[in-house]
Amino acid sequence: MGNYLGIDVGSITTKMVVIDGKNEILADTYIRNNGRPLEAIQQGLEIISSRLSRGSYIGGVATTGSARHLAAYLVGADVVKNEITAHSIAVIDQFPEARTIFEIGGQDSKVILLRAGVVVDFAMNTVCAAGTGSFLDQQAARLGISIEEFGTLSLMAKHPVRVAGRCTVFAETDMIHKQQVGHSIEDIVGGLCNSLVKNYLNNVCRGKELLPPVVFQGGVAANQGIRKAFEEELETGLIIPEHFRLMGAVGAAKLVKRAGPIRTQFKGFELSQKPCSTRGFECSECGNQCEVIELLIDQRVEACWGDLCEKYRKSSGPGVGKP
Amino acid sequence: MKVTFPHLGTMHIFCKTIAETSGIPFVVPPETSRKTLTLGVQHSNECLCLPFKIILGNFIEALQRGADTIVMVGSGPPCRLGLYDLVQKVILEDMGLHYRWLTIPPRLTWRAIWKNYEETKELKKELTWKNILLFPYGLRMGWKKMMACESLEKLAMKVRPREVKRGETQKRLKKALAWVDEARSLRTLAEALQRGTLSLQETEQDVSRAPFKVAIVGELYTVMDPHINRGVEQKLGELGAEVTRSSWFSTHILRSLRKNKAGQASERMRFFEASKAYLGYDVGAECNLSVGEAILRSREGFDGVVHLMPFACMPETTASGVLTRVSKDRDIPILTLVLDEQEIEGRVQTLLEAFVEMLQWKRKAASVFPKP
Repeated sequence: MGNYLGIDVGSITTKMVVIDGKNEILADTYIRNNGRPLEAIQQGLEIISSRLSRGSYIGGVATTGSARHLAAYLVGADVVKNEITAHSIAVIDQFPEARTIFEIGGQDSKVILLRAGVVVDFAMNTVCAAGTGSFLDQQAARLGISIEEFGTLSLMAKHPVRVAGRCTVFAETDMIHKQQVGHSIEDIVGGLCNSLVKNYLNNVCRGKELLPPVVFQGGVAANQGIRKAFEEELETGLIIPEHFRLMGAVGAAKLVKRAGPIRTQFKGFELSQKPCSTRGFECSECGNQCEVIELLIDQRVEACWGDLCEKYRKSSGPGVGKP
Repeated sequence: MKVTFPHLGTMHIFCKTIAETSGIPFVVPPETSRKTLTLGVQHSNECLCLPFKIILGNFIEALQRGADTIVMVGSGPPCRLGLYDLVQKVILEDMGLHYRWLTIPPRLTWRAIWKNYEETKELKKELTWKNILLFPYGLRMGWKKMMACESLEKLAMKVRPREVKRGETQKRLKKALAWVDEARSLRTLAEALQRGTLSLQETEQDVSRAPFKVAIVGELYTVMDPHINRGVEQKLGELGAEVTRSSWFSTHILRSLRKNKAGQASERMRFFEASKAYLGYDVGAECNLSVGEAILRSREGFDGVVHLMPFACMPETTASGVLTRVSKDRDIPILTLVLDEQEIEGRVQTLLEAFVEMLQWKRKAASVFPKP
C-alpha cells in the first residue's frame, strides 16, 4: 500500500503532508514562499524526502491552494482540488460532528458551514484581503515583534483599544493614532485582534448561521489573541486541530487516497535537484493579448498555459496542458 | 462621421449591424483587454465600479482609432451607472478627445427625444438621405442578428455542461457568432443561424449527465459581459452546470420600450413582485430583480444561484444582504461574487468549483436521505 502526498500552496506559505493508508501523518513541512512558490515547492519536496523513511512509495499526489495548478504542472499531480473542498474533507474526517469551519490564511479567509457532515454553504473574501494573516504579519513587523509573540502579547492587554476594522489601511491609521497618544502596545495589539475578528464575522460570515462545534484552522489559528477574541465574540469554545496549519494539505492527501490513482503522475523527489523556472510573455497574435506562461524544468518547456487559443500548449508537445 | 459604441456581451454586433446596413461609418472598439482596463482605471475616479471603467476604456480606444461619435444608453438614477454617460462625457472632454455624444434614452418619451434634439440636429447634417432611409432596415437587421446571437448563446448554455471535450462548445459558439456577425442579408443571416445551431448541436455530448440548474442574477453589465465577469457563465457550464440568466440585451431593450405583453418583460415583472416578500420598495437598478429571481428560481427547482456584482455597487450590495436571508429561508445555495479590477480569475474559479462540488454533495445527501 502506498503513501499519499498532499501539497497546499497558499499565497504566503507552502504546506506538504504525506499520509499512509491509515491516514497517519508520516512527514510534513510548513515553509514560507517568500513570493517564490516554485522554489518553495522544491524545498518542501527536499524536506519531505529527507523525513520519509527510505523506500517509501508515493502512490498519488494532490495539489490544492491558490497555486494548485502551478504546483500540479510542476510535480505532476493526480488530483487538483480547490482549497475549500480540501479543507472540508480534512475536517469532516477528523471531526464529523463539526458544523462550522473558520479558516484564515495568508490572503484568504473562508467560512464553511457543515450540516451532518456535508458542506451546505461557504464564503470567501474576494476582492479585499483585509483581516487576513498577511496584515497581522505586516503589523508585527511594524511593531518589531515576531508573529509568534503577537498572540501572547495581545493576551496581556488590560483594556484593548477600539481599532477601525473595515479596512486594514484604516486600521493602521487608527493604530498609529492610538500609539501616538500613549496606549500600551499590548492594548493596541489586543484591540487589533478584536477588530479583525469582528471584521471577519461581519464581512465573510455576514448573515450565516454559525453553530458550534466550530473548528478554527489556517495559519492565523496559531494566534492566541485571535482565538480568544473569537471565543469571546461567539461565546463558545473553538476546536483547534492538532495540525491546524496543514489541514488543506491533509485534505488533499485524503482526496488522492480516495481517488486511488492506478499509476501516479508524480515526477519524483529528484525534482528538487533540477533547475525549475517559469517565463512569461504577452502574445500579440490577437486582441486577447494573453499572458502566456511557460514552465521550464531542466531547460525544457514542460508545460504552458494562459493562452486562450491553446496555440502554445499544443506546440509544446504531448502530455502538456491542463492537468 | 464615425460612430462607436461600448462592448457588452454581443451587443456590439447589434450596433455594428445598424451602422453597417444603413451605410454609416463606424468603429468597433478593440476587444476588451488588459489595456482597455488600464486606460479606464487610469482616467476614472478610484471609487467607481468595474463596468464604468471598462466602458470608458472601450471609448478611449475607439476614439484613438478615429471614432468621433459615441452612442451610449443612459438609464438614469438611482444606480450610479445610470448617470455614467454624463460622467464619462466630462472625463473624455478633460482628456482632450474630440467627439459627439448621443445618449439613447432608457425610455422613449417626448422629453427624452427633445433632450436629444440638439445632438441629432447636428448629426442630421452629416447623414445622407440614403442613411436615413436605410435606417429602419438596419434596425430590423440588427434586431434579428441580436436575437440570433442570443439564441446561440442560450443553446450553448445547454450544451456546455454535457460536452465531452472541455471547451469545445465555447469554440463552436465563437465560430457561430462570427458567422452571424458576417451575414449581410436576412437570408444569409438565417443560414448562419441554422449553421451555427447545427454546429452547436453536433458537439459531442454525454446525454447521461444530469447537470445542475444554476441561475445567474445580478447587475446587468456584470452578468452580460464575460470580460467583466471573467467568463463565469462558461466556467460554470464547463464545471457541469446548466446556466440560465434573464438579463439579455433584448430584455433591456424591450423593457425600455415598455413592451409588457412579451414574455421577457413580464418575467421581469414577476421577479419584481416576488421580491416584495423581502423588499418594501424599489431599491433601484437590478436589486429587486436579483432578489426576486432568486426566490422564483428556488421555487422552480433550481439547484443554486450565482449572484454577480461589481465592488461597491450600491443596489447589488443591498441585494447580497437580502440574498443571504433568501438562501437560508428557501434552502437554496447562493454564491455572491464581487468583481473588481484585480486579477481574480483564479479566485473566481476556486469559488465556482467549490460551489458546484457543494451542489454535488447536496444531491448525494438528498439521494441517501430522501426528503419525505
